[in-house]
Amino acid sequence: MSAAPVPEGVRDGGALRAALAYLVTGFATFLLMGLLGLHMRLDQGGLMTVSPTWFYRIMTLHGSGMVAGTMLATMGGLAAAVERTVRLSARALWTAFLVYMLGMGFIVLATTLGGFAAGWTVLYPLPALGRVWTLWAAVAAFVGYLFVTLGFTFYCFHIAWQIAVERHGLGNALGWSLWRKTEPSDPRRPRSAVEIIATVVTLQGVFTGLVGAAYVVPVLLKDAGLVAALDPLLEKNLAYLFGHQLANLNIYFAAAFVYALVAEHTGRPWPASRHVAVAWNLVLLLVLLPWPHHLYQDFAQPAFMPIAAEAVSFLVGIPSFLVTIFGALGRIHRSGMRWSVPMILVALGLWGWVTGGLGAVLDSVIQVNQVTHNTLWVPAHFHTYYLLGAAAFTWAYLYDLVTRLAGVPEDRASRVAAWLYGVGGAGFVLMFFLSGAAGVPRRYAAHLPQWQPFARIAVPFVVLLSLALAWLAVDVVTRLRPAWVGAGTGTRN
Amino acid sequence: MNAWLVFAAFAVVAGIWTVAWIWIVTHARSPVPTKAGEEFDLAGARRILLPLLCTVAFVLFVTSLPRLPYVHARVRRLGAPVAHVAVTGLQWTWQLDRDTLPAGVPVEFAVTSRDVNHGFAIYDSVGRLLTQVQAMPNYTNRLVYRFPAPGSYVIRCLEYCGIAHHVMQTTLVVTGAAGAHP
Repeated sequence: MSAAPVPEGVRDGGALRAALAYLVTGFATFLLMGLLGLHMRLDQGGLMTVSPTWFYRIMTLHGSGMVAGTMLATMGGLAAAVERTVRLSARALWTAFLVYMLGMGFIVLATTLGGFAAGWTVLYPLPALGRVWTLWAAVAAFVGYLFVTLGFTFYCFHIAWQIAVERHGLGNALGWSLWRKTEPSDPRRPRSAVEIIATVVTLQGVFTGLVGAAYVVPVLLKDAGLVAALDPLLEKNLAYLFGHQLANLNIYFAAAFVYALVAEHTGRPWPASRHVAVAWNLVLLLVLLPWPHHLYQDFAQPAFMPIAAEAVSFLVGIPSFLVTIFGALGRIHRSGMRWSVPMILVALGLWGWVTGGLGAVLDSVIQVNQVTHNTLWVPAHFHTYYLLGAAAFTWAYLYDLVTRLAGVPEDRASRVAAWLYGVGGAGFVLMFFLSGAAGVPRRYAAHLPQWQPFARIAVPFVVLLSLALAWLAVDVVTRLRPAWVGAGTGTRN
Repeated sequence: MNAWLVFAAFAVVAGIWTVAWIWIVTHARSPVPTKAGEEFDLAGARRILLPLLCTVAFVLFVTSLPRLPYVHARVRRLGAPVAHVAVTGLQWTWQLDRDTLPAGVPVEFAVTSRDVNHGFAIYDSVGRLLTQVQAMPNYTNRLVYRFPAPGSYVIRCLEYCGIAHHVMQTTLVVTGAAGAHP
């Protein structure tokens, strides 16, 4: 990164270690949740039998664990990237981590021991009306969500606050100071594009946390008998506003790694510029608006909401595409750079982000949504920009950070593994898209014989993906000890 | 809307994007440009792409409006419903006040739920998803649809509603007697 680092002596060396803990724990969670996903595809392909009771528990854990695990890793990566130019508190990061992990623990217990299987969206009133799990299991899951949300919100608040303090105001942290005449050394100027992105996404994170609490707390009060009734349509809007924000933030958090890694590996600086500030300030506004596209089929919703959501859904990707994705591709082109594991994953991530985004834009056409909503088209597009977008960027950053801190060079086999991650991932999501086009419902424990070939063809790709990830995981694990030592001193080779 | 047409559109655009991506990736290691004009013209590309993408978004938005699935738009296109069906979803079954309907005329489904959220989705006999609407507690969603041909249609739940979600289905019989009013 081209930004001037925080001088030694004022850095909190433990912050980078905390960030590393987030990244590694998130990565491990992702691997475990991926294995649960493989079980689901084996079952849907008729290659393995999982009882519906367990299938839906696994589905619930897979969904919530993937979202929480990948988010945790992106939170760690963002802290590590921000920590280069802004002082962060290790104590604050560890506190958020522990609260977040406590929440994840509750969710694991609720699904595995409590039998909770309401899906990761925990759509009211299903959690309390599951018929096969107890109310206590639902309460445990909601308490878990509450702790995860609390840890996430606290983390976001800390990052946004620290950047705002360092840049003498929130507006400056958002890049508005770039329109004033200031010297490059002026503390009001963001030191890197990452700072602007971090401010935007963590502000959104605080808002998302509040929405999450606004959804979870009334449901808990209802379950406790303290509130007589809730409006299902309002609750649905809150649930999807929360879920939509959280899922999208995962991608936007991870986009910060594209700026950091592309600048570093191509040798072409990517400073905080007006382009970057405009694009990301637009993201701050636009991402908040299109959640009603999850409720197109709720015809009771006032008609202006889906229509406005459709319009915003078409526009929301344009700033990111033109500034982030195009900016990255322009810097990669004829840069003379060497293909390393992080850059292979970044390139794959750019492909997946756009391809998944394209699937999402099509799904956001109301007329198209009539035949794709709640089919496997939905997991198709979000797995594409998660697995081959946000997650790829995050593993790229994790791999780069650990390699630099440990001072160990990567080998050719690891680069092959990184490319195979892309091949496995692309084959896997293509089968989801085809299933969606064939009208195969999502969240179905039993697949009809005519639907099973899609899942069967997907399985070898998932296995390839798993092997590639396992190879990269071994690289990370074997470098972890020296990386941990290096993180304490903040020495990145 | 045929979902396979959606997939075809997706495949074409994703294919073009993939070719462009491969071109960039395969030129990453090429020598760094030394002469003016050899660099990737980011600003120039953005000047073309910004109005292009905004135009595509605008056209897509405007053309999608007349074919909205909501009651008023469908009644305007198909005419007033001549048959009415009350539908209630409950874990894990569908209750319909009639299961035989005429083909070729607009039919209105008044869909609600007695417990949790469900998804009322109509599939034809070859497994194609034709239309859908959510079934929500406390609300009635009105879906107007014209069955294209006589035959047997399957109703599936498309909103996850608990551990027997995948078995929540029923069958509708659509007869050829268009205009055989209730």
